[in-house]
Amino acid sequence: MAAAMSALAWLRANRWSFSAIGILLLWLVLAITTARFSLQSLSGVAASAAFLAVVATGQMFAVATGGGNIDLSIPSVITLSAYATMILSRGTDAGLILALPAIAAIGIVTGAANAFLILKLRIPAIIATLAVGYVLDTATLLTNRRFTTFAVSPALHALAVGRVFGVPIILLLATGLAACASLLIRRTGYGRTLMAVGQNAVAARLAGARVARVTAAAFLLSGLLASLDGALLSAHAGGAFLEMGRPYLLQSVGAVVVGGTPIFGGSATPLGTLSGAVFLILIVTTMQIAGLPGGIQDMVQGGVIIAVLAAAGSGLSRRTA
Amino acid sequence: MNAPDARAAVAAPPPPPAAAGPVLVLSAITKSYGPTIANQALSFAIAPGEVVGLIGANGAGKSTLMRILAGVALPDGGRIEVAGAEVDFARFSPQRARESGIRIVHQELSLCGSLTVAENFYVEQPTAGGRSVLWHRRFEALARTHLEAIFPGNGIDPRAPVGTLAIAQRQMVEIARASADPRLRILILDEPTSALDVRRSEDLQRFIAARAKAGVAVIFISHKLHEVAALAGRILVMRNGRLVRDAAATALAVPQMVEAMAGEAAATLATVQAASGVARTPGAVLAEISPPFAATPLRLAGGEIIGLAGLEGSGQPEFLRALHAAAGGQARAGVRCRARAAYVSGDRRGEGVFPLWNVLANATIGRIATGRALAWLNPAAEYTAARPWLDSVQLPPERQGAPILSLSGGNQQKVLMARALMTDAEIILLDDPTRGVDVAVKQEFYRLIRAAAGAGKLVVWYSSETIEFLECDRVLLFHEGEVRRTLEGAAASEDAILSAAFAERVGARAAHAPGRRGRGLGGHLPKLVPAIVLALLFALIAALNRNAASLFGLDLLAGAAVPLVFVACGQMFVVGGSEIDLGVGAFAGLANVLSATVLPARPALGLLTLALALGGYALLGLLMQARAIPAIVVTLGASFIWAGIGYALQPTPGGSAPAWLAALASGHVLGVPASIVSILAAAAVAALLNGARLGAVLRGFGANPRAMVQGGWSARYGAMLRYAIAGAFALTAGLAMTAINTASDINAGGSYTLLSIASVVVGGCALAGGEIAPLGVVCGALSLSLIGSLLGFLDVSTDYNAAVQGGLLIGILMLRQALAWRRR
Repeated sequence: MAAAMSALAWLRANRWSFSAIGILLLWLVLAITTARFSLQSLSGVAASAAFLAVVATGQMFAVATGGGNIDLSIPSVITLSAYATMILSRGTDAGLILALPAIAAIGIVTGAANAFLILKLRIPAIIATLAVGYVLDTATLLTNRRFTTFAVSPALHALAVGRVFGVPIILLLATGLAACASLLIRRTGYGRTLMAVGQNAVAARLAGARVARVTAAAFLLSGLLASLDGALLSAHAGGAFLEMGRPYLLQSVGAVVVGGTPIFGGSATPLGTLSGAVFLILIVTTMQIAGLPGGIQDMVQGGVIIAVLAAAGSGLSRRTA
Repeated sequence: MNAPDARAAVAAPPPPPAAAGPVLVLSAITKSYGPTIANQALSFAIAPGEVVGLIGANGAGKSTLMRILAGVALPDGGRIEVAGAEVDFARFSPQRARESGIRIVHQELSLCGSLTVAENFYVEQPTAGGRSVLWHRRFEALARTHLEAIFPGNGIDPRAPVGTLAIAQRQMVEIARASADPRLRILILDEPTSALDVRRSEDLQRFIAARAKAGVAVIFISHKLHEVAALAGRILVMRNGRLVRDAAATALAVPQMVEAMAGEAAATLATVQAASGVARTPGAVLAEISPPFAATPLRLAGGEIIGLAGLEGSGQPEFLRALHAAAGGQARAGVRCRARAAYVSGDRRGEGVFPLWNVLANATIGRIATGRALAWLNPAAEYTAARPWLDSVQLPPERQGAPILSLSGGNQQKVLMARALMTDAEIILLDDPTRGVDVAVKQEFYRLIRAAAGAGKLVVWYSSETIEFLECDRVLLFHEGEVRRTLEGAAASEDAILSAAFAERVGARAAHAPGRRGRGLGGHLPKLVPAIVLALLFALIAALNRNAASLFGLDLLAGAAVPLVFVACGQMFVVGGSEIDLGVGAFAGLANVLSATVLPARPALGLLTLALALGGYALLGLLMQARAIPAIVVTLGASFIWAGIGYALQPTPGGSAPAWLAALASGHVLGVPASIVSILAAAAVAALLNGARLGAVLRGFGANPRAMVQGGWSARYGAMLRYAIAGAFALTAGLAMTAINTASDINAGGSYTLLSIASVVVGGCALAGGEIAPLGVVCGALSLSLIGSLLGFLDVSTDYNAAVQGGLLIGILMLRQALAWRRR
């Protein structure tokens, strides 16, 4: 009894474990019920999850700033930077080197625009990022008109689809990113201060934190990771297309929430986000294997995220008016 | 249930006193918050018609007691009897408290700023106006009568939004509203005169005396001891959660009240002062104060303890904030700092602790946050560095790893002090740090403050307990935001400070003239902006294309705008509730699909599915409230559910409109095309809903949800209502899309989400909530739709639509922010 209680307490304290358990259960069910689900296909899931994990890590930083903040410009950044990658690199590694600063600039400028609107003009993050995303969408549409090439730079292709000992390189990258983010959050002054800001921005300011700078950095990071992910996705998909970022709108938020990061900020677990990403992609894959139509897949994803939120409950509502 | 006429309510006698028995009896009421005991075994009884003064320092437990009586907090133990009937705590609530005749005027005003005075009366006494559709007029009369009865010649317009009133006027409304309750037996006034000038305070005193004579028991809580002495027949003194004195007012003059309130603190200070007669020599000047904070420049030096005295609300905390900002390198008029400053707030929950962390992390964050961003943290080193400081504030080692919230308020405060001392700050700013902590911790604090000054730091100390200024080398006396006098050494006695503070107040009473904001044409102009914008846009389009002004052209333009108008009206009600709905567009898309696929084929089933969808939408609101989860993520998740259902039903655009729906769309009413009629209908329905009682309730939840819950309204009911209305409008938008396009496309609704938010913003509603402006929002939606048409006329590629929409939203919000800055 006591052991059960302490196990339950441990689960509550380590909310990322829910998604980890979910992964194991789902995998078990799949392994038993279908012969088509092999270790090989699991590595495919892992690769897809890795692309999600990269943007979700950025989203996690935005969410951690607290006050219900969220970055809705991520899908637009992904799509635009995928186009930029294809057009600027022209399928060569030399071109990629030229394209990289532009790709990074897309993310950083978007993040800076978001931060400016949120911090200087005090526009709620949800509206600021949504509106910035719309502006980017137009840029994407215009780029789409001039889109001619489908050649992918070999180096980028290697990163996006290559494997080392059967393990997708992108998975290693995502895991490395999660580890770095974990260290940044747990072991640096910035990480600690960001969590303070997310818990209570007023208290953080009075404790000496430069709240605006800390918050802006989180949105810059979110933009940057989304743009880099967009570049990798273009290599993975072998091109860029409109709406390619769309699934990441809900999934990036979903991976963060399912991974155990509280939606009101002030705490964040990058490894949980990684595990949340794998869980979500596993659900999607399961539905694909089961042959469910795309509409049902969307429904289930939306439902899972609401259910996880409702089950976790925030308990303390820290909404800032 | 016909309520009495407003006038009768004033004249009506209060409920008959229960045969001379006490109207309120408390026995052994106890309440603790975590380790802090806020109320300890409180017992007293109050007779009808008695006026009782309740006094005590901040944190003495008065507020907790009031929260219990108001039904907001439940006691851990004890009994309460109201008019002879025992209170059943299992069923006690704010609503029950009011039904039993207990009314409280809160210190933190519990009015909804965006509601009018009359509507504020309504949300507290929904039944007082009868069932008439002219409820506004009834409540306006009610408000006017009650305000006049207490404050003759107040000049408050019952139709004015409370937010436009001066603070003193708001307080009058608050008082009049509570005393308007016909069931009133016990009236509790928590600092009612803090914003009132002398004349209005006298009005209130006269009114209290009259109501007491008529049998109402009054509990009067105030820091203005002279008023308490003048008004109350009996005085209760609380200290550290206990009742320490219960005496007739004649037996307790003001000095004795102070002594009873401060008791231990006074004794403590007396003993410690005797022990520490060490004079400190001032060091280098660390801060300079000049106008507007001080008429004659002041210099504050290291090693000094500076007290900030004055009545509450005289600008002391604001001065501390300015010092903190200036020390952090920001320019602030009136203060210059030559060293870093650390801030210790007495509002531990709101401005001090980080609730998810333990003691150690809470202590070290000051040093970490002011250090380098990429500094590497080593937990062992962090602990070693923090340990001496946590020891020095006398925090036992075994508590140093405990979660911060498991500590008592006093110990939390010690951690905050350790946080400040641990930084390299030369200036320590104290914002009433001993608020609500026990005497032992206070003693500790005085020692720490002296030690900090002894180490050469400048301590600037705002306290709400005058007695604490005896610790200070100099006391700056604040009034209306600036230093009026400086008291030094022996001149800074408690009596001197108190009487100086009161002298300033009396001298300045003429300055407190309420009601300066006008409501002339300038006040109404912003509301007309959306209509003006719409007119200009239309004129522009008509100039480009003559046909636009014909009835046919109007029909075309209006037809394109119909869905957005409806979605925007739905979004408006959500934004009015201080939330944002990211699923409203997708829901309109789903309604579009349902009404173009299921509805024509099987009408009954179609109607059922539409009703079910609407029910699901309303349940989302319930879910958000019940589980306290944010609307943004829930509605985002829900948008995928709506789109998913629609996509599963109809993967590619198609379907057909039911014949009756298509006929509706092409019909005319009195020669006016259906498109224009439906836009007018949307505006009319939204305006009616907003003007009805439930509109006031919805806006109330957006403006001040806590006050609404205290007023007995259910937050879940409010949320369900809000989303049901939003869903109904979105549903109608979906039907309109089917009628106009005679087909459906699940992706057609998505773009309406951002446009609806933009329409609401253009329409003049604040994103913070509390405002619903149907006409403005409809104009806003029409304008945004016209911009689409305008771009078409100008041959701008539709590729730019998204950018124009996003840019427009940002632009409008920027403009608003700029205007807000200007007004300040």
